[in-house]
Order: sequence, then C-alpha cells, then structure tokens
Amino acid sequence: MEQALLQIAYLVASIFFIMSLKSLSSQETARQGNLYGMIGMGVAILATLLNSQVDQYTMILIALVISSVIGYQVAAKVEMTQMPELVALLHSFVGAAAVLVGFASDRSMGQEGGHVASSLYAAEIGVDIFIGAITLTGSIVAFLKLKGQVSGKPLLLPNRHKMNAGAAIACIILIGIYAAYVDQTNFYNWGWIALLIMTVIAGALGAHLVFAIGGADMPVVVSMLNSYSGWTASAAGFMLDNDLLIITGALVGSSGAILSYIMCKSMNRSIVSVIFGGYGANAGTAPVKPALTAEEQAALVVQETEAQQLAQDLLNAKSVIIVPGYGLAQARAAGSVYQLCEDLRARGTKVRFAIHPVAGRLPGHMNILLAEANVPYDIVEDLEDINDDFPNTDIVLVIGANDIVNPLAQEDPHCPIGGMEVLEVWKSTKTIIFKRSRNVGYAGIDNPLFYKENSEMFFGDAANSVNEVVTTLRS
Amino acid sequence: MRIGVPFETATGEKRVSATPNTVRRLKKRGFDVAIASGAGQQASFSDQAYQEAGADIWEADQIWSESDIVLKVTPPTKEQVEQMQDGSVLMGFLWPKENEELVETLRSKGVTSIAMECVPRISRAQKLDALSSMSNVSGYRAVIEAAYYYGSFFNAQFTAAGRVDQAKVLVIGAGVSGLAAAGAARGLGAKVYAFDVRSAAREQVESMGAEFVEVEFEESGDGDGGYAKVMSDEFIAAEMALFRKLAAEMDIVITTALIPGRPAPKLWLNEALAEMKPGSVVVDLASERGGNCESTVPGETVEVNGVHIVGWTDMPSRLAPTSSQLYGMNLVHYLKDIESGSGEVGFNLKDVVVRSSIITHQKEILWPPPPLSEIDPSSLPKEMQKAKDTTKDASASSTSTKATPVVTAPKTSQKSEEPRSKGLSNKQMTWLGIAILWCLLLVTSDKSSAGESTIIFLNHLTVFALSCFIGWQVIWNVTHALHTPLMSVTNAISGIILVGGMLQAHGTSDSAASILGALAVLLAMINVVGGFAVTQRMLKMFRK
Repeated sequence: MEQALLQIAYLVASIFFIMSLKSLSSQETARQGNLYGMIGMGVAILATLLNSQVDQYTMILIALVISSVIGYQVAAKVEMTQMPELVALLHSFVGAAAVLVGFASDRSMGQEGGHVASSLYAAEIGVDIFIGAITLTGSIVAFLKLKGQVSGKPLLLPNRHKMNAGAAIACIILIGIYAAYVDQTNFYNWGWIALLIMTVIAGALGAHLVFAIGGADMPVVVSMLNSYSGWTASAAGFMLDNDLLIITGALVGSSGAILSYIMCKSMNRSIVSVIFGGYGANAGTAPVKPALTAEEQAALVVQETEAQQLAQDLLNAKSVIIVPGYGLAQARAAGSVYQLCEDLRARGTKVRFAIHPVAGRLPGHMNILLAEANVPYDIVEDLEDINDDFPNTDIVLVIGANDIVNPLAQEDPHCPIGGMEVLEVWKSTKTIIFKRSRNVGYAGIDNPLFYKENSEMFFGDAANSVNEVVTTLRS
Repeated sequence: MRIGVPFETATGEKRVSATPNTVRRLKKRGFDVAIASGAGQQASFSDQAYQEAGADIWEADQIWSESDIVLKVTPPTKEQVEQMQDGSVLMGFLWPKENEELVETLRSKGVTSIAMECVPRISRAQKLDALSSMSNVSGYRAVIEAAYYYGSFFNAQFTAAGRVDQAKVLVIGAGVSGLAAAGAARGLGAKVYAFDVRSAAREQVESMGAEFVEVEFEESGDGDGGYAKVMSDEFIAAEMALFRKLAAEMDIVITTALIPGRPAPKLWLNEALAEMKPGSVVVDLASERGGNCESTVPGETVEVNGVHIVGWTDMPSRLAPTSSQLYGMNLVHYLKDIESGSGEVGFNLKDVVVRSSIITHQKEILWPPPPLSEIDPSSLPKEMQKAKDTTKDASASSTSTKATPVVTAPKTSQKSEEPRSKGLSNKQMTWLGIAILWCLLLVTSDKSSAGESTIIFLNHLTVFALSCFIGWQVIWNVTHALHTPLMSVTNAISGIILVGGMLQAHGTSDSAASILGALAVLLAMINVVGGFAVTQRMLKMFRK
C-alpha cells in the first residue's frame, strides 16, 4: 500500500514537471510553470521523506537546510550577466551528486537494506558514475571557461579523438571488471579499485571534452551539459529502481538535447562535432589568420560616426532595429540601450531588437539581459521572424555583436562561420556598428560588414557611446 | 557597347525601358546609350532630360540597326527584329511561349535575347525581378482604379452630417501585387481582407495590416517542389462558397491570381458577382490572361448589375514614370551582373539567372531551360540544391519572401523548419503505438525470477523511452526568449537526484552510504532552491 502511495506521489510529481516545462511556451504562462516545478519537487521530496526506507532524518534535514540557504543566497545575488557561469556550476553539482549516490549504492550493495549484488546492478552503478563524472568535470571546466579563468581557446591536443575513444573504452572495460568482482565481500577488492579508476578517467574525459571546445561554442556546451545532467539522473533512476528519477532525468535530458540541437543548427555546426570536441569539418573555432597583410588591413577604409551625427540620423529614421551581442553584456550597456529605445519609441520610431540564437553565452541569454533592462518582450524578435525586415529598416544598431552579423558566413563556405545563419543587417539603409576597437571577433575573422558603403563605425565603450547618443537626442 | 532604347510601339504602352536616372547609371558602367527620339515622352521624360544624362538621341531605325544591346519593355515586332545585327542583344518581356514566330526570327538573326519575365525567383536575383517590380505597381494602381469607380470614401468618417462607413476590400491572392494592393488600400483607410490557398501567406498578409481569410478545409495549399497543388473539387466548392458569402459584404474585390503559362483561373464566378451590392467594384489584375472574374472583359471596364468590373491590362503603364524607373533598374542590375568589362557584357550559361532567362543565343534556341539544379548546383543557395524542380515553363521556387503574383505561388522557403508539433504526426503515432505494445508485452510475459530483473530493467527502459518522447514534444514549444529560464528550471528539476541521496541515507549514520547520500542531498538541493529562485527572478523581469 505504501509503495502504491509512493508511486502515485511520484506520478503526480512527474505530471507537475511536465506541466512546468509546457508552461514555458510563452511569457504569460511561464511564471506558473516555475510554480508547477516547485510543487512537483515538493511532492517528490515529501513523498520520499515519508518512505520507510529513509531513516537518517537528522542528516538529511541538516543537508536540506544548509543547501536551501546557500541556494537562495546564490540565486538572489547572482547578476544576469553571470547566468552562464552559474548554470554551468549548478550542472556540476548534479554530476557530483550522481557520483556520490553511485558510490553510496556501491557501499550499500549486498548489505543490510541495500540492493542485492548483481552484475546488472553493478553495471548500472558504473554507468551512473560514468555519466555523473563527465558531467561533473565537464561542467567545472565550462564554468571556468565562462568565468574567463581558463582560456576560451580550444585545447586541441594531438590524437585527441583517439584519446577520447580510448578513455571511453577503458571505462567500459573497468565497469566490466567491477561487475565481475561484484560478489566479493572484501571491502578493498579489485572491483572497487576498478570503479575508482574508472571515475577518474571519466572525469578526465569530461574535462578534456570541454577543454577542446572553443569559447564561441559555449552556448552549445552548456546546453549539452544540461542534457547530460538529465541523463545522469535517469541513470541513477535505473540504478535505484526509481521511475521518478528516470522520468525527470529524461525530461531534462531531452530539453538540453533539443537546445543543443537548435544552437548547432544556428551555427551550422554538426552536433557530433561539438560533442566530440571539434571532430569534423569545422574543427573547433581555431582563429583563422586574416587573409590580408597588416598594411592591407589598415588600408581598408571604414566610415566613422559619432554621437551628433548618429543622433541626427536616428531622428530621421522611421524604423530601427538593434542587434545586441555579448559585448553589450560585457559593457553593461543594456540599461543605456533601453533608454535609447524608449526615447526613440516616444518619438514614434519603430524600434525592435533582433536576437540571434547564439548571441551571448547561453541560449536565450540576450533575452534575459534585455528583460532585466526592462525592454518589453514583444519588441524582441528572433532571427527567423526579423531577418526579412532588414531591407525595410532605416537604421540598424549593432552593439557588441560581430560574428552574428558577418556576411562572410553567407559568402564563404570555408571560413570558420561558413554556412551559419546570420542577421542580414547590411540590407538595411544604414548600419551603425558599436565597437571598442577594430579587433576581430571570437571566430578570429575580419568582418566585411565594417567596410560596406552603408556601414558606419562608432568606436568606444558601448555604454558610453549609447549614453552620449541619448544625451544628444534629448537636447 | 552601345545600348539602344526604342520607342514602345505597342498600343497604349507608355513605359520606356530607360529613364534619365538609369541612363546615368549605365553611362557610369561604361556603356554608350542612345534613346529613340520621343521614347520617354509619355513617361514624362523629355529628349533633353536624356541628353543631359549623357544619352544620344537617335532615329528609331538607327536604334534597331546600330545598337549592340536593345532594351525593350514589351516584345518587339518581327520587322523591328529584322533590322537587328547578328550578335546583338535584346532584353525585355518576351513571352516566348506565345511568340514562337518572334523567337524564330530572333534566332535566325543571331540575336541573343533575354526574357526578363523568366528570371528565376531566387534571393540574389530579387533586384532583377521585373515581374515583381511591375506587380508591385499594378497592385497599387488597382486600388487607385477601384477608388476611382467606387462611390464612397475608403476610410470611415464621422461628420456632422452623419457617418460614412469604412470600405471593405477583399484581395484574392497574396502575392506581390496582392500585398501591394492590401497595403495601398490600408493606406487609404479601408478594412482589408486577403485570401490565399497557401497558409504561409498569413504572416505576410498580417504584416500588411490585413486580415487573412482562408477556407475552412483540412487541405494544405502547399504542394511539392514549391508550387501549390491542384486543389480537390471539395476544396474548390468550399472556396466558391466562401467567395459568395464574402461577395455580399465586400465593397471592393481585387483579384490577382495568375498561373504562369496558363489562362488565369476563374475564381470570382457570376454567382459571386450577383451577390455584390450595386456600386461595388471588382478590379481584375489577371485580365490580360482572361481574368479571374467570369465577367471580365480584358482591356475594358464594364458594368454588370451596378458593379464595375475593371479589366485594364495596362496597370504598370498607367504609372509609366515610376514603372519605367523600376523596370529600368531591373535592367541595370541585370547588365551589371553579366558585365565582362567596362561597358561590355558576356553570357555565362552556367549562371542560373542567365541560363533561365536566355531565349536565343548564337543562332540557337536555348529556351526552355533545364531544371535549376542541373545548371549549376553550386551556384544555388543551399536550400535550393536539394529542391526538386517540377517545372518546365514557370519560374522556380523562391527563397525570398516576396511571393509571386500567383495564388498557387511557390513555397517561400525550402528550409526544414523546426517541428513545432501541435499534434501527433503519423511517425509519432507509430512510435507511441510501439511503446504501448511493448508495455503490454512486458505485462504478460514470463515472470520467472531469472528473467525478473531483466523485466524490471525493460520496464524502466520503457518508462525512459516514453519520457524522452514526452520531453521531445513539450520542449519544442518553448519560445526562444525563454531558453535561459528553461535551462535554470530543468537544472532545478534535475536536482531530483536528491531523492536518490535520501534513499541511500539509511542504516547507521556513519556508514559510508549515509554520509555519501547526505552529501548528495546537500549538493542537489542547492540546485533545486537556487534553480527555482533564479528562474523566478528571471521570469519576473519579462514585461510587455
């Protein structure tokens, strides 16, 4: 009977989780989606606590309280620009938890109250720890890369694919050894050592996979780790004979997988090449040497503009599209851009924002940053909705974005961003690019957009530049 | 090379293939330009204006016999072509299917002829697309003609003397001319409705401020290879019924349905016409090809039961100064594309645009062209390289969003779209079926202890597979703007692993399992609380 109630509770929790994800289909229903998630989690925790199998209440409750405080503090204090790092770090916790649970299962296997020792069970433990370890270390490396404490350049070791394949095979063999020794009651037996070694190798593999991915691909990597954290939970579910873990893990895993797929399609990279660390045609995002010499580069002429002139142009414009990139986040210019947007809209100008799927370091990152700056979400549009409107637009402001507006993606299939969908800003009447300097973007290639006849550059810190324009407009 | 611009001798044709503005551009590219005396007169361009732009004024015969490139609007006469030199070029609307004799004359004279209406509808050729530029003008003009015959205002007015109702305009066919007409009618203040068999046209219609009207029928208007398929009889019956119903409410109906190479489809039947109020107007932009309205008289405007049916076939010509300018620019862009040196042109038959529009060349007839994919696959945009070409005599699928002036227009995009699933497709139903079957099998299968753990495993696997399927269905509908909150919510939910930790934390409090389990709970709970809290913060920020 108790088991039946537990199962029902788990079913209810699962349904709440599904409803939670479903509600994220629009901004209007999204907030109740979060609520559903919380309710589902609440039901799951409560039901588990009431399960007779659980008895270490003191330890558990202490853990719950400490972690709730930590979690809440972190959430309250984190800045939206730090979202990517936070998400990466949190993924590592799930990986760590899975590894710990795996070892806990191992320790309690064959013991009083534990699971019967069997090869299948051992294999499940092995898989759980394998995926958990990869998620753990991969996420930590992603966190460090996003924070900037580790270089954004991909680490491309020689024979790295063979090393990865070798590591994976080694892990499989080690899990096999572990399963073979599963009947041993001896605490420190070969099986257990094999499991430990496997954990270390899996950890190294996870870290290596993410080290091999360039900074520009971070949105995909984070989505993928999000996916892995889901599969980790599912693996734990198989191991613990717990359907709730399996279901929830599968939901999260699919979510991450779909996001990764969307990111990859937008960058025209194959998802296989990103997962396996740069395997395939567009190997990583190693910077390409510019095709021109330094003198030729310097000789390329750009038209420059400044606040006075731009303000005048904006006064005459009827439709404006703003293309934000990660640079906008770094320069903390979102607030200033919002001011500009509102001032223009007050004058009757049509202002919209064009968001490229891989702008920022996380899927949907730009949307969050703009929302934080109070930009109303109905003027924030996706690439596919807005890309055809550029020919009808008077002025485009490209702020802190580079590769996502690079025409080379369409013209040169062999460049690092070849084939990637870009925002066709050059089709508008005039494009203004806000940039700190003439340096190349993440992909390491120059951007012909800068040299087009209808493009003008506004050099300087984005926040300062935009503020200047706002002030000039108001006077 | 020398470009010659003759006078358009077709009856009622007021356009000219070059304006002083385009002459200046052609001169800049290195061409010499000659205009027949008085050629631009009816389009308000004087000989003097052309001279000031750098053109020479020649006699009509001279243009034909001494030019290297002759630019025309309408097809030339046989006599005119007879005067042309071997190796010279003719560019203009040629309609090769209807003018076989002309094509033969062009061939035998060794003239290279380019038919502007045969330029393929691909993104890079948008600047050369004369059909679209002329359709745009026609759409606008249709509204002006309608307003001329309509006995009231287009916009609603509330005056001291009473109220005047807003005019209701129905546009049939949301192609270039349809959308242009919708925009112009909106501009005058009317309430505009637009109909098209392609549901993809909805977005374009709504962007013009009009309301999309469609037949309540479960049949897609989009066919293979980009063309609308021939609709079933039931659909057509429903379509006609819809039109009859609308006829009673609409004051103005503008029809734009054309099918390249075939007579215009009859859409506005006499039964619908009979339902219209006296004083209503029908403008038939397809009258040149027989008309969409059964009672249209091509080239004339007639009145039937108090309803004016405008059948002018020269809409672009009525806006001659601007249509000449737009058409002239199409020609300038074409010439720019085939430049082989300053003021020189060459014809690269591997170029998709050239091959599709070239009719005769070096005493051979090259028309109709082979399917686009065979001309030069690598020159096509990626999407089109996989497209199946299904046409011989009509323009190919377009990757631009400006649809053709055809109700049965090509699909506007070949890109495979994300499966925004709203229901279950056949494939999904199959998988669901298999999954359910599998469940049943497991329930009824052998329950011996040897196979039990395997069965349990398989049960879990089933649950796993079903959950992935559900996840797949649900996540695709998440809007892009919410992807970051999605990640933080799924992150929070993946903290469910704490359940695993809790289940492990039993037995003695210092057993390895308990400690590890509790630690797992701690870490995972940070995710849960942190994840939900951060998501809440983010979602609160979204405002309209």
